[in-house]
Amino acid sequence: MSESRLASSLRLLARRPVLRAGVLIGIITLLITNHLQITLWKLVDGWSNLLVLGSEALPPDFSVLTERAGWTHPPCTFESDFLCSPAVVGMTQTIEIAFLATVFGMIISLPLAAMAASNLSPYWLSQTTRQILAAMRVLPSLIWALIFVIIVGIGPLAGVLAMTMYTVGYLGKLQYEALEGVSKEPLEVARAMGLPRWQVARFFAIPEASNALLSQMLFMFEYNVRHGSVIGLVGAGGIGWYMNHYLSPFQLYDKVLALIIVMFVVVVAIDQISLRVRRGFIDDVNELRRPRWRDILISRDPVKTDSN
Amino acid sequence: MSMESTGGVSVEDPNPVRLRMVDAAIGFDPEQPLIEGLNLEVRAGEIVGLTGRSGIGKTTLLRTAAGLVKPLSGSVECCCTSTTRAEKGAIGLIPQRLGLVQHQTVGYNVLMGALTEASFLQTALSLPSKRMRDETREVIDEVGLADKTLESVNRLSGGQQRRVAIARAMLQEPDLLLADECLGELDAETARGIIELFRHMAEDHRMAILLVDHNPVRARTFCDRVLQLRGRRLIPFDEDEESKATLPLIEEVGS
Repeated sequence: MSESRLASSLRLLARRPVLRAGVLIGIITLLITNHLQITLWKLVDGWSNLLVLGSEALPPDFSVLTERAGWTHPPCTFESDFLCSPAVVGMTQTIEIAFLATVFGMIISLPLAAMAASNLSPYWLSQTTRQILAAMRVLPSLIWALIFVIIVGIGPLAGVLAMTMYTVGYLGKLQYEALEGVSKEPLEVARAMGLPRWQVARFFAIPEASNALLSQMLFMFEYNVRHGSVIGLVGAGGIGWYMNHYLSPFQLYDKVLALIIVMFVVVVAIDQISLRVRRGFIDDVNELRRPRWRDILISRDPVKTDSN
Repeated sequence: MSMESTGGVSVEDPNPVRLRMVDAAIGFDPEQPLIEGLNLEVRAGEIVGLTGRSGIGKTTLLRTAAGLVKPLSGSVECCCTSTTRAEKGAIGLIPQRLGLVQHQTVGYNVLMGALTEASFLQTALSLPSKRMRDETREVIDEVGLADKTLESVNRLSGGQQRRVAIARAMLQEPDLLLADECLGELDAETARGIIELFRHMAEDHRMAILLVDHNPVRARTFCDRVLQLRGRRLIPFDEDEESKATLPLIEEVGS
């Protein structure tokens, strides 16, 4: 009796591939939670911790915007307390680090991208360059930051170097894909003229892809501002460094929360500005923009096809 | 530039051979070449028209002449060297969709024609000499786009874009100019203007021009010779009795 019921449910499983996959995923999930010793009790225990955290962090202490911080690195020389507050100094540093990293990253990655683009370079060169770019992407910027903090010491320089490395790897990939997407006719014209490869890239492929390249650069800047807050945690400068300052010895959660809110506001603002500006590059072109997840989740029009 | 470079090669011959294909087979698959036993000579100052139905290999022939595709067998030479190793700037190409750099100005696109004679420093720093800029302005004026110099090429009409591509070729002054479907589906008036520019380049700049026009009747009105591709062969269009007999058919296909 029970055996036949088991047999029939097995038969049902065999006939329904989606159900089969669901059961399989369920079993694996259970095994993993068991392996990682994740239990519901931890979540319940965590709830009380959350209450403690909440009571300490709320209300956020916005004195981080008004109190002068004498311990900024490098030292702040402005008269105004606001301009020398940890939030403003930290956020400014984060943006500055992101800006420098994006500029340096762009300068390094553009020639690399031209070398990696299969329509501009011989096979061996494009494959080698791709491997180099991929290797730079393997480590997230946080790990690069750790490495550079060890090499050049605590401070914004480590942040700039770390982010530049990651920017080159990431931006380089976006760029060579954009370069490979340009139409081949201008390149053939240049090749028939007998121009050397670097001129084909410099005067034909890169200008042809310039809209995409500029838009990617802005995206990278915005991305770097977001990540700039993380790398501060390991001492590579920026707002994360100031957060860490409040966290590690004193656990001043209300000040940290205020910093997080400041960061959130600034990042969202930069995000929106950059989105607008980048749209300007894409808009009057009759080209389909490749949808990205963040566009689908945040933007009202995930796939922009219109032209103004 | 073309005058000097060829003047040294043969002083006596006023119309030296600029493109020579000898017993060439063209295509991508050695088992099934698109065109076989191809013999073709194009001389300086001459416009040779190439016709034939779609997909027969006109564009591939042009790309082979431009050195972008290697011939399967036989030889393809431009000014006595293989086209794949032709002298810098000796060959000019105007592809069917013109190959203009999108979103850039007319001036930028035309100036690209001067790259072949620019020095390394000029290109590395993107600083064209005054002469290059003056010449660019002259050729833009010659094709009648003087008021559009700073306009993005995307905003121009099809005919105007063709003029930009032609101006680029005029500035380059290649020995051999290859133009694919340059008249395309232009109206008669616009096409006549473009044809005049080609005649000007052939007669005044002594370029050898090989151009594809799918309309053999129109090609005959302005080309010195018209050749047609039929069944893997390149044959003269109006000298051959046989092709005359099939003219109505070709016209039907071509129009």
